[in-house]
Amino acid sequence: MATLFWLQTGACGGDSLAILSAEAPSLEQLLSDHGVEILWHPSLSHQPMRQHDAIYQRIVSGEQTLDILCVEGSIVTAPRGTGLYDSYRGRAKMEMVRELAQQAGVVVAMGTCAAFGGVHAAAPNPGDCLGLQFDRDRPGGLLPPEWRSRRGLPVVNVSGCPAHPHSMTQTLAGLAAGWPLPLDGLNRPQAFFNTVVHQGCTRNEYHEYDIEELEPGGRACLFFNLGCQGPMTQAVCNSDLWNGVSSKTRAGVPCFGCTSPTFPRDADLFSTPKIGDIPVRLPLGVERARYMAYKNLARAAAPARVRDKEMDV
Amino acid sequence: MARVELNLNLNRVEGDLEIAVVLEDGVVAEARTVGTLYRGFEQIMLGRAPRDGLVITPRVCGICGTAHLYASVLALEQIWQLPVPPNAVRIRNLCLIAEGIQNDLRQTFLFFTPDFCNPRYRDRPWFDELMARFEPFRGSVYRQTLAQSRQAVEIVAQFGGQWPHSSYMLPGGVTTPPDLRRILACRSVLDDIQRWYEQVIVGAGLDEWLALDNADAYFGWLETPAHADSALGLLSRSARSLGLHAMAAGTPHMLSFGAWCDPQQASGRLLPGGFYDGDSATLSSFDQQLVNEHVRHSWFRPYPGGRHPLNGETVPDFQPNSDRYTWAKAPRYGDKAVQTGPLAELMIGGDALIRSLHAAEGGNAWLRQFARVRRIGYELACARRMLDELSAAIGQPHILNPAKSAEIDGEGFGLIMAARGALGHWLKIKDGAIAQYQIVTPTAWNASPRDSNGLPGHWEQSLVGVAVQDPDDPIEIGHIIRSHDPCLVCTVHMLDSGKRLRFAP
Repeated sequence: MATLFWLQTGACGGDSLAILSAEAPSLEQLLSDHGVEILWHPSLSHQPMRQHDAIYQRIVSGEQTLDILCVEGSIVTAPRGTGLYDSYRGRAKMEMVRELAQQAGVVVAMGTCAAFGGVHAAAPNPGDCLGLQFDRDRPGGLLPPEWRSRRGLPVVNVSGCPAHPHSMTQTLAGLAAGWPLPLDGLNRPQAFFNTVVHQGCTRNEYHEYDIEELEPGGRACLFFNLGCQGPMTQAVCNSDLWNGVSSKTRAGVPCFGCTSPTFPRDADLFSTPKIGDIPVRLPLGVERARYMAYKNLARAAAPARVRDKEMDV
Repeated sequence: MARVELNLNLNRVEGDLEIAVVLEDGVVAEARTVGTLYRGFEQIMLGRAPRDGLVITPRVCGICGTAHLYASVLALEQIWQLPVPPNAVRIRNLCLIAEGIQNDLRQTFLFFTPDFCNPRYRDRPWFDELMARFEPFRGSVYRQTLAQSRQAVEIVAQFGGQWPHSSYMLPGGVTTPPDLRRILACRSVLDDIQRWYEQVIVGAGLDEWLALDNADAYFGWLETPAHADSALGLLSRSARSLGLHAMAAGTPHMLSFGAWCDPQQASGRLLPGGFYDGDSATLSSFDQQLVNEHVRHSWFRPYPGGRHPLNGETVPDFQPNSDRYTWAKAPRYGDKAVQTGPLAELMIGGDALIRSLHAAEGGNAWLRQFARVRRIGYELACARRMLDELSAAIGQPHILNPAKSAEIDGEGFGLIMAARGALGHWLKIKDGAIAQYQIVTPTAWNASPRDSNGLPGHWEQSLVGVAVQDPDDPIEIGHIIRSHDPCLVCTVHMLDSGKRLRFAP
């Protein structure tokens, strides 16, 4: 059995609720079929809180092995580095995170808040929020960049706001089984972050022919004008559909880049900054001159059914 | 007299919670609800583009982001004076209902009923049957709730792309039109949930259940196997045998903003809202001018009395060793502490059974929970109506985008019934950016601390007089607080827990 302790810090609870939507495996299956034993989860455990305190003490004293520590929420360090804006029994939650992390086989940041600071770290960052091992996109958060867990891993960042349900349960299933878990440069499990949101978007034919929407509610691509970050954002939203049925971009909502360390970006979230007619930020790894040449050709090649936005998405 | 002060922790709420109670001879004499998290959403909004509220504010709360999205878009539409096409209103309502069904199911069977599985109740006649249905992760209804609530939010994903945290309601409408595929996918989900609700939860067809209109008829029905053996019947029998129908009324005053916007008439509501004055037992229309928030006992820079949200401020001033004790503000309606939630929604909205039960026994913990499960019936009926109307109106507009010139400066508000009750966003736009943003959540009303006049909030009032058998396992408090459907992250500035036991001389 792999023991798991889930701690909420400066959180909205959205990752805990999102994980209830996972189906393969579901949270129930993690428990019954993947050898995960939940020592504590704040929303789901039914024992009284004194049990929580006892388990916590046993973990910190080393009597209880902790295999997986999940942290959900920003690390609140205000006021003046005390962390008391987010406390438990008068103690800063960030201190509890530090204590538990030292005992854990592996620490998993569930969601962008715990990974990078997230929405609570947006300007002016009233709670002086950090991620566990990153401060937005800078290495080093509550824990220094060189920190490693008992199993020799940095904090595993399952980012997303909320994290994709399957990126959470499948990461946990893999860790419980002891499988290797290759990470990317932001310490995210590659398996869930080695594709862009754009990939699999049903608006791709419009994007392909450079047919872009000027205002919301239409069928065409949202990248050039409406702030969509899909071509730059690494996540499985369009290859493993949300709630088994769709994704934001399929439903006409721009991708806000919520798996990225700089989410939410400090700009109008529904518009795309441009140089001339072309977005400032281009799809991952693309050169501007070549992209402009390609886009000019693409629009000329658009079939009427696409140019006239006749195709459903 | 034995005087005991307890700081109680509660899990299985949306966010943790600390309640400080003073017991005198085992009975709660005073209670304080303590929010121990400050995140500062209202500061984060300042200076941002007006539409950014549609992305940022749903993230206040993981369980009711759709309601925040709805309140935020209504506020922008009020300021910019935008018409909204009926199909957009139908889709918004449908998604809000799906989130509501999710909440009402999870709150009831993942958060509330697990307390009845406490070993202290093992000699009760209902215990074995209750464990078979409600035991966490094992009981049949618990497991079905996981599956059914997972399915419910698929409806939001059909139109919003994902649940939680999407931003598909935009000024003037929604991002996705209704089409046959989406409508039928939603119908299929709804049909499944309704069948399960009828067969397992209430033990009757929806029409028969919603037609039940008085307390005597309900108590009679509770004796029949069809309902007695249903999940709600079991919940009612066990809760009532513990006396939850005779305790924890809290404040008698209730507030509802009215459930679900009328697609044909933007300002109308399908289930009417208003203010119920519990002293005079009279209903009056709601006047948002009377909303005001106090910070006398909160960790914010002090100001005298209460302030309307448009003139409010949220400047942290953490003073842990003073008579100020929480990150929650104290909203008041005029000078009254009010409660909001499904009980208020159905009482004010005119449900005859809830009104009759309230007249017979007054407000109480069981009735709050009962109202939550009954509301699912209304949610199912309204969702079906929205889908029927949408299917007859495919091809009609789903969004009327405003002209850039319409996006003027100004001030306004958006009021909506979230799963936990009345939710309001008040904001000002100046020079094209957000200059003021104040959110008053349902839990801010319910979990409010004392105000400038020393008047306790609804939860604080509801705990006074409750007998606690075992201070080490104060399960009575758990029943009562969870019957309020607490959402502590939902108070925007609040949350969390801790326990210390102190005996005063």
